[in-house]
Amino acid sequence: MVNLQDIKDRAKALLENGEVGAVVGFIESTAGNLASPKFITEADQADGLIWDPTCVHNLALYLVEERKRQTKAAHGHGAAPGGEDKSKRLAIVAKGCDTRAVNVLLQENYFPRDDIHVLGVSCEGTGMVDRYKLAKKLKGLQAEKTEFDGNGYKVTTTSGETVKVAAKDVMADRCLECRHPHPVIFDDEFGEAVEDRGLADAFAAIKTVDEGSTADKWKFWGHHFDRCIRCFACRSVCPMCYCEECVVDSINMHVLQDTSAEEKANRIKWIERSATTSENIGYHLVRAMHLAGRCVDCGECERVCPVNIPVRLLNSVLDFEAKDTFGYDVGMDPGQPSFVSSFRDDDPNDFIR
Amino acid sequence: MSDNIYLPKMGRIIDVNSEVEGARAIKTFRVEFVNGDGFDHECGQCAMLSVFGKGESMISIASSPLIKEYKQFSIMRVGRVTTAIHDMEIGDVIGVRGPYGNNFPVEDWKGKNLIFIGGGCGLAPIWPIIQTAVLQRKDFKDITVFYGGRSSRDIMYAKELEKLRGDAEVHLSIDSEEEGWNEFCGFVPTNVMDKSPSPKNAIAITCGPPIMIKFVIQNLKGAGFEDTQIYTTIENKMKCGIGKCGRCNVGKDYVCTKGPVYSWADLKELPQEY
Amino acid sequence: MEKVLKKDNLRDWVIALSSYEVHAPAFEDEVWNFKQVEKPEDAALDHTNTVKPPKDFSFPQREVYCEFAQKKGEAPMVTETLPALAAPKVVFGVRPCDGRAGPRNDTVFSKEFDDIYYWMRRKKVAQVGLACNTPPSRNCFCTAVGGSPHSEDGLDVLMVDLGDSYLVKALTKVGEEIVKAGGKALGNASAADKKTAAKAKADAEKAPMREIVDIKTVPENLQKNFDSEVWGEMAQACIGCGICTFLCPTCHCFDINDEVTNVTPLRGQRVRTWDNCQFPDFTMHSSGHNPRNTLGARLRQRVCHKFLYFVQNHDTYQCVGCGRCISECPVGIDIVAVVNKVAHDVG
Repeated sequence: MVNLQDIKDRAKALLENGEVGAVVGFIESTAGNLASPKFITEADQADGLIWDPTCVHNLALYLVEERKRQTKAAHGHGAAPGGEDKSKRLAIVAKGCDTRAVNVLLQENYFPRDDIHVLGVSCEGTGMVDRYKLAKKLKGLQAEKTEFDGNGYKVTTTSGETVKVAAKDVMADRCLECRHPHPVIFDDEFGEAVEDRGLADAFAAIKTVDEGSTADKWKFWGHHFDRCIRCFACRSVCPMCYCEECVVDSINMHVLQDTSAEEKANRIKWIERSATTSENIGYHLVRAMHLAGRCVDCGECERVCPVNIPVRLLNSVLDFEAKDTFGYDVGMDPGQPSFVSSFRDDDPNDFIR
Repeated sequence: MSDNIYLPKMGRIIDVNSEVEGARAIKTFRVEFVNGDGFDHECGQCAMLSVFGKGESMISIASSPLIKEYKQFSIMRVGRVTTAIHDMEIGDVIGVRGPYGNNFPVEDWKGKNLIFIGGGCGLAPIWPIIQTAVLQRKDFKDITVFYGGRSSRDIMYAKELEKLRGDAEVHLSIDSEEEGWNEFCGFVPTNVMDKSPSPKNAIAITCGPPIMIKFVIQNLKGAGFEDTQIYTTIENKMKCGIGKCGRCNVGKDYVCTKGPVYSWADLKELPQEY
Repeated sequence: MEKVLKKDNLRDWVIALSSYEVHAPAFEDEVWNFKQVEKPEDAALDHTNTVKPPKDFSFPQREVYCEFAQKKGEAPMVTETLPALAAPKVVFGVRPCDGRAGPRNDTVFSKEFDDIYYWMRRKKVAQVGLACNTPPSRNCFCTAVGGSPHSEDGLDVLMVDLGDSYLVKALTKVGEEIVKAGGKALGNASAADKKTAAKAKADAEKAPMREIVDIKTVPENLQKNFDSEVWGEMAQACIGCGICTFLCPTCHCFDINDEVTNVTPLRGQRVRTWDNCQFPDFTMHSSGHNPRNTLGARLRQRVCHKFLYFVQNHDTYQCVGCGRCISECPVGIDIVAVVNKVAHDVG
């Protein structure tokens, strides 16, 4: 069992010893049944840390965001109002999937290993809650808080009732299908590695979509892409979507003193801002392709989508291809070669050798 | 189409003049409306210029409202739209909608000494007042123009400034010394300090790079100018030009409708969001 | 005009509205959203609130301003593209908070300049409200911003759930036409019906909701604490997505772009799309300078627009308390908590 006090104590010690400038962990939000990521900079704030099935976020994102803030500040673009930039080490609380995101970022040299401290937390026998599944289960009641309760969850509703549900019934698909619920890279480890969770087969969700004909697939995805409002939450929440400038940006986002007018004028608009079928398809497919062999299936893209587009499935398909065709497991080791820029000597195709 | 505020009128370019070349090129365009479909403007107002296929850019109108035949725009090449405009030639047709924004209270300044302080491309927004004051020379007292560029090659309206002498006192400057340059060497705010204009019955109008404006205002205040005697303009990214698209606000004010002209007395109350 | 509608007769009312395009909330893909009613028997009003507000009936995410074409060496040809005038729309199930968004958006799209695209659509939309006897979401706070769960503001008709039936109150001339069109589907409201509705209203207004402390002092305190470090702290977890604003019933910011469909000869469209103060490119100058360069500055813009600038310019809050931005924020940023913190708890 994960002992929350251990996480708090470790966070406190890291801050007190000055080993890190901040611990990014989870605190309770005021929005209801959702943890909120928080930069904890003072030891006494560590008491506010929580660990429950609403700690859904992949906090590796903030390792990226903090690095960007520091780079920006170094270029004289100013710090956020309210926080001078501490170019100190950063600690994050990370689940299994989140630690694999850390590995991919290390693999891509986004930051050096020494700059980060990983408080790895095991999801053990369960995982994170899916709000739509929970809403269905609660039949009109609204969840205020969800806690771990053995292999189930204890849900407290807004009207004060306690409802116990089997985790399996309301867990996010990503967690049901998770192949690595235990952290794979960490400086501190909390909770146990649980073998044989037996919750769902890996890649179970894509199999139902993958079985249909091409026409069926177009119908399925056409329906979903049409609904996209291009809020870019899926991109914003993804630790791997760290590009300074994205194909969907309408202007050059990375403008320096010597960026010429011609460079800005000649920037190609690959994808228009209009949320039309063609542009939405362009956006989602480009994003999926850029995540091939990089997506760790934390499922945050799908979780944050306000209109519930199954964004994760796109990435899962590519994850499946990587695994099935090339035996590639994303984010297992920072030293592993990059999926798209490496090949094996025994590759069956000779064009690559 | 007349009710549709988003559709531009068509203007034909009748004159193009290259003011400054290089990485920060400035060109001046004179545009006459096609089919007499134009509009009148006031000093300080802007217009949204469009190049179809590229987009729109808000540009200050750099000619006096007293000139009805054309509207003048002096444009620095910075991005997609301004580069496309720079590629245009005499006879080409451009979209123009406006006029947008508030204006300098020029009528209230009659009988006063006017001191203009410009830097770089910042001569364009205040040029309509200078032109107006010269066209109505008797209505105004002393006119003084300070203007500076990085080098002598960065001086815009060079010929026009020469013509101005006689009607106005003109003090030019460049940042560092150059052979053959007989006027002031140094930054614009220093040149202003050097000539120490009197605040008596005067209005100072300044426009240029933010850092220049900051020191000009500091120096004018030092010389005894009241906040209400100092005017400047600000700019922000704009799309609609009519206070709806939501991006150009500085505090409660959309610069496209409540600006771009501010007295320092008003501007200093607004947050530094420009 | 007050009528009563048996819940089973909603179908008949929808059928009677055959000269209108009828929309109502539908539960699809696990979320509620407005959808055109294809089968009247499907029309039901058992929703919480829709994820997307009804603003896009008047202000769609994409609006084509004009089409343009230009041959080399010739002047551009521009063709105005106004919204196609289809049948008038009736939107059922609009919650009173979203109803109150209407007049606020009307203000923005008129004032000194009327926006022809907005108004052509707006004049064709009638909103039939459904009062909230209980708050549809734990993050509702309409009463904190001057609204009411039974507010009539901005609606053409208000329906109040009486158990087996609805009290149906026409509020505008358009509303009266819609109610009249229902014919026999609606009966006359009795004194008892009106009394039940009044009681439901009184009870609903007493129901606990999220609270903003001392709202009258919020604008001045936001002004006072404009430079507070708290903005940055509260925005630290912000991922910079557009959910809070795109789902907001009163957020109206937009972008205008030329979309080229053919290069030579040039053809394309000038298009308005929703835009959003949380995206960094929203305010970034071409030079790269960005006046709102941080998450904190952008959160401050969103909150101050609603609780300070709009009050200064239009004398009302630009927030109707629907709670969508709270419930849908991926990281739990809570506008009520932010307002309370910045306005009342900055040391």
